[in-house]
Amino acid sequence: MLAFIIRRVFQSILVLLVVGAVAFSMFRFVGDPIDNMLGQERTQADIERLRTELGLDQPFPVQYYKFLKGAVQGNFGVSYRQGRPVSDILIERAPATLELAAVSGFLAITIGIALGVFTAIRRNGFTANAIMSVSLIGVSLPTFLIGILLIYLFSVELGWLPSFGRGETVMVGGWSTGFLTESGLKALILPSITLGLYQMTLIMRLVRSEMLEVLRQDYIRFARARGLRDRAVNFRHALKNTLVPVITVTGLQLGSIIAFAIITETVFQWPGVGLLFINAIQFVDIPVMAAYLMLISVMFVAINLIVDLLYFAIDPRLRADRTAAH
Amino acid sequence: MLRSLSFSAVLMASASMLGAEEFRWAETTDPQTMDPHAVNSAAVLGFLNNVYEGLVRRGKDMSIEPALATAWEPIDGGAGWRFTLREGVTFHDGSTFDAQDVLFSYERASSEAADTRSWFAPVSEVRVVDDYTVDIMTTAPNPIFPDSIANWMMMDAGWAEANTAVRPDKDNGNFATLNANGTGAFQLVTREPGLRTVLEPFGGWWDEAEHNITRAELTPIQNPATAVAALLSGDVDFINPVPIQDTARLAANDQVKVIQGIEARVIMLGFPHEAEALKYSNETADANPFADVRVRQAVSHAVNVPAILQTIMRGNAEEVSQLVSPAMRGFSADLAARPAYDPDRARALLAEAGYPDGFSFGLKCPNDRYLNDESVCQAVTGMLAQVGMRATLDAMPVQNYWPELRADNYDMYLLGWSPGTFDAEHPVRFLASTPNEEKKLGSWNFGGFSNARVDELLPMIQSEIDDGKRQMMLDETTKILQDEVAYVPLYVQPLVWGTQANVELTQRPDNFFLLRWVTVN
Amino acid sequence: MADLTQTTTPVERSRLRLALESDFAYQFRKSPVAIVSAAIVLFMVLCAVFAPLIAPYDPFDPASLNLMNGFSKPMEPNAFTGETFWLGTDDQGRDVFSTILYGMRISLFVGVAAVLFAMVLGVTLGLIAGYLGGWTETIIMRVADVQLTFPAILVAMLIFGIAKGITPVEYRDQMAIWVLIIAIGLSDWVQFARVVRGATLVEKNKEYVQAARLIGRGSGAIMLRHILPNVLSPVLVIATISLALAIIAEATLSFLGVGAPPTQPSLGTLIRIGQGFLFSGEWWILLFPAVTLLALALSVNLLGDWLRDALNPRLR
Repeated sequence: MLAFIIRRVFQSILVLLVVGAVAFSMFRFVGDPIDNMLGQERTQADIERLRTELGLDQPFPVQYYKFLKGAVQGNFGVSYRQGRPVSDILIERAPATLELAAVSGFLAITIGIALGVFTAIRRNGFTANAIMSVSLIGVSLPTFLIGILLIYLFSVELGWLPSFGRGETVMVGGWSTGFLTESGLKALILPSITLGLYQMTLIMRLVRSEMLEVLRQDYIRFARARGLRDRAVNFRHALKNTLVPVITVTGLQLGSIIAFAIITETVFQWPGVGLLFINAIQFVDIPVMAAYLMLISVMFVAINLIVDLLYFAIDPRLRADRTAAH
Repeated sequence: MLRSLSFSAVLMASASMLGAEEFRWAETTDPQTMDPHAVNSAAVLGFLNNVYEGLVRRGKDMSIEPALATAWEPIDGGAGWRFTLREGVTFHDGSTFDAQDVLFSYERASSEAADTRSWFAPVSEVRVVDDYTVDIMTTAPNPIFPDSIANWMMMDAGWAEANTAVRPDKDNGNFATLNANGTGAFQLVTREPGLRTVLEPFGGWWDEAEHNITRAELTPIQNPATAVAALLSGDVDFINPVPIQDTARLAANDQVKVIQGIEARVIMLGFPHEAEALKYSNETADANPFADVRVRQAVSHAVNVPAILQTIMRGNAEEVSQLVSPAMRGFSADLAARPAYDPDRARALLAEAGYPDGFSFGLKCPNDRYLNDESVCQAVTGMLAQVGMRATLDAMPVQNYWPELRADNYDMYLLGWSPGTFDAEHPVRFLASTPNEEKKLGSWNFGGFSNARVDELLPMIQSEIDDGKRQMMLDETTKILQDEVAYVPLYVQPLVWGTQANVELTQRPDNFFLLRWVTVN
Repeated sequence: MADLTQTTTPVERSRLRLALESDFAYQFRKSPVAIVSAAIVLFMVLCAVFAPLIAPYDPFDPASLNLMNGFSKPMEPNAFTGETFWLGTDDQGRDVFSTILYGMRISLFVGVAAVLFAMVLGVTLGLIAGYLGGWTETIIMRVADVQLTFPAILVAMLIFGIAKGITPVEYRDQMAIWVLIIAIGLSDWVQFARVVRGATLVEKNKEYVQAARLIGRGSGAIMLRHILPNVLSPVLVIATISLALAIIAEATLSFLGVGAPPTQPSLGTLIRIGQGFLFSGEWWILLFPAVTLLALALSVNLLGDWLRDALNPRLR
């Protein structure tokens, strides 16, 4: 067990290093930050000077080494665009994205599970089939269009909800939250629906197929045969057994929620890290891009690692698989 | 800062009921710094004009008027300018403005770390005569010097020293990146880069306030559709710009107003004058047709500018024949006619130049720099194809665009130019002079256009004090550039702002949004 | 990495395969949803393939465009030129109907090619990882982790950037489409690899594989002849669903400015362009491409859904 953990942690670090190297080698192709940093009246000499100052004239391995050295100490450098430490900016922006992701995730899980159970129990009913089909509409349109249509309907035409931003926020111990004000909560509705729709559909379908799988297992049949009522069978036995894979998949999806937040945040001008990243690309703000990609990678790798370790711990069959595989 | 107020429909409603003049506005880009000397860009200078002031400023009609200097005059027969400073002016932190601050601001704004350095290229020395008199000496007589320093903003020497911001620091930032201490009508209250920037009126301002704003908050909104939605739903009071296509719809809406004008920016096509051969041609890879003036003339006749203005710009722009718009000083009124749209003439010119069947080439274009730039390039591609010049369009974000142009990866390109000095000399210096790194000439002349007479005229224009003679030389330059088709100017970019119906404001061609002229009724 | 997919897709495939053909057809006839969506997909594919024959105009030929035709309303003559277009025209004066046909061609091409690329890559790597195990497996599955670490959008944006940097200038205009295919394909292969590896782990210990190995069959032959057929049905299901995802992903990338170029627009590019006219009253520039994309993706999704149920006998 310990050997397995050590090996996986070691592999994860290697993965991070590779991701970092790949990302860093790509930055040179994203564009040239110099033009954004200098005005119209710059000269070629100014361009060269700034490039040297920023260390952009150095070979890529040197740049990467410098970045890593700083990153290990929690220093991601200074944003080209904002002229202040990237770590400050990330800390400032993270609450917006995390709150949005949390609300979307919550919506996706609760609604997804409820609808999934419903469609599994009534698998041949008209409503269930209708839900199954309609839910696909949400994943058959690109996220940005769904967001824009929601804004058009609920902000412009109906005037019910704000069209952009986070609303009023309150600082609670360095964390700016939108949960404590009415406008903050209202501002969360449209972006979290936009962001959560895809995951909701996914979870609903997953729960449904898991439920169907479990419902035909022998122990459920025995339970029914013993005369337990449907409700008890469906929820106490079937749903419970469905949840383990659902939770793991949801965990893995957390990462993609944060990745997809890039689009949602752009459409809704949501001041989170996704919007920061898109701005960074437009400005070729290399320190911000590097830090963002590194953080996302750490997050994904950590989630992967945790899921792996959990599985290793709870499922002996997988352990057998592993040992057979290695 | 415990509670941070931001936009919301609820607040909005209560605010308008109370009649409070809290003003919210949205722009596409956030000013990247609060340091007036660190970045020379319209977004930064436009915003900071609300906070900082220069010796002179531009009025509603763009004319130069006194600001922190009450008077100025040439001295020693054109060897320099003497500025008399306004007395009793204080910075937002309460310290007094005097000649030492002017000297400090000169040293700061002309230092190597400053992006505004090029403004001071003609300056040889700044002398403090007394507390309220400053002499600025120039290397040669410079008649338009006061015009060129309207955006040179005064910073308090003591404040900068106390906060270790004596020089701008673009790479690492310093106190002045996030904080401001000017003499302007508004002071900076909150600065959260990329999120919001809050200004409040400065009680001790020396001039009389024309606005009735009690608080103003800027939020960048990138996606144009979101910005329009925010204006329509009342979440903001002002947006800049309004997407061209939404102009008519917004104008028809009672709740909002559209304010249109002509910007200083001229949109043009550029050519690889010096290239030996085309880079993106299938069959003409060993020659450069654009080196032939007849081919360039053909381009100017093939592009149907009125049609572009009619459809893509929806009647919101005006065609132009030279590198500056008619609103600029030094515009050549006699040369105002653009070559007519005449595809037959274009074909004839191409045949004459030896390309009866046309040729293929590559057109480079930004897709996020100018209003509807990509659509315009698409339209140009179609029009050129109709006379036989078959362009492959490559449109890209601006961060990739400039490096491509610098690397000469184009056969034709789209460029917009806004003269910082509002004078016709500016584009001659940057776009039409033979590139010369040492003399800082032609730094945006990507195609390497070169004409001996233009190079000869430029220094004469720069030091000519007599307006009539100066105009004659500018006319001559314009004529050469038109005859040689150095560029094909297309149109002057429109300015389109959107506000709530109850907002009154002033729009200037430099696209600076000044809060001191805003009233909310 | 745990194989969650094992629990979501059919695991027991060896027996299923035999009954597939006849049963499959029966299932199809029984499901109206499947018939309708298959018909729509087929219709759209045909439209896309024969676009040059059906479309009244060639929107990719800039010389044929008249800018003054711009913003014509559907079924109404243009104010300047008097020409009438079924579904109106866009800002460049392009016939929206023709543009949609050609756009669908590009969207489908990108989608199908990306999924094929992902499938070949994923199945190959999955088979190798599952069958060979050991360090080979570790490396492949760690690479899969790296791949997962980079969200599809980011992968595409970065690949786009690199491709721009390394493609010779004269090929750049055709580059966008291939970059999209590679980028979307690369972000998709992991699912295939995981499912195939999981199934391979199960299959390779079965008697028939052991037997094949005993009689001296090579690894390659065993993978191709014995294991591959058994993992095909989940691969087919994933491929169908991935196709819908790939088409949507292409649209999303267009929004971020790394999609198909506006001179050769895909459905996604058309929607990106059209959303700029949402408030200006030219609804047809957005609506028609959006409805087409919705119909296409929805049908493919419904088909994928049905396929999953139909290929999993235990759910019947």
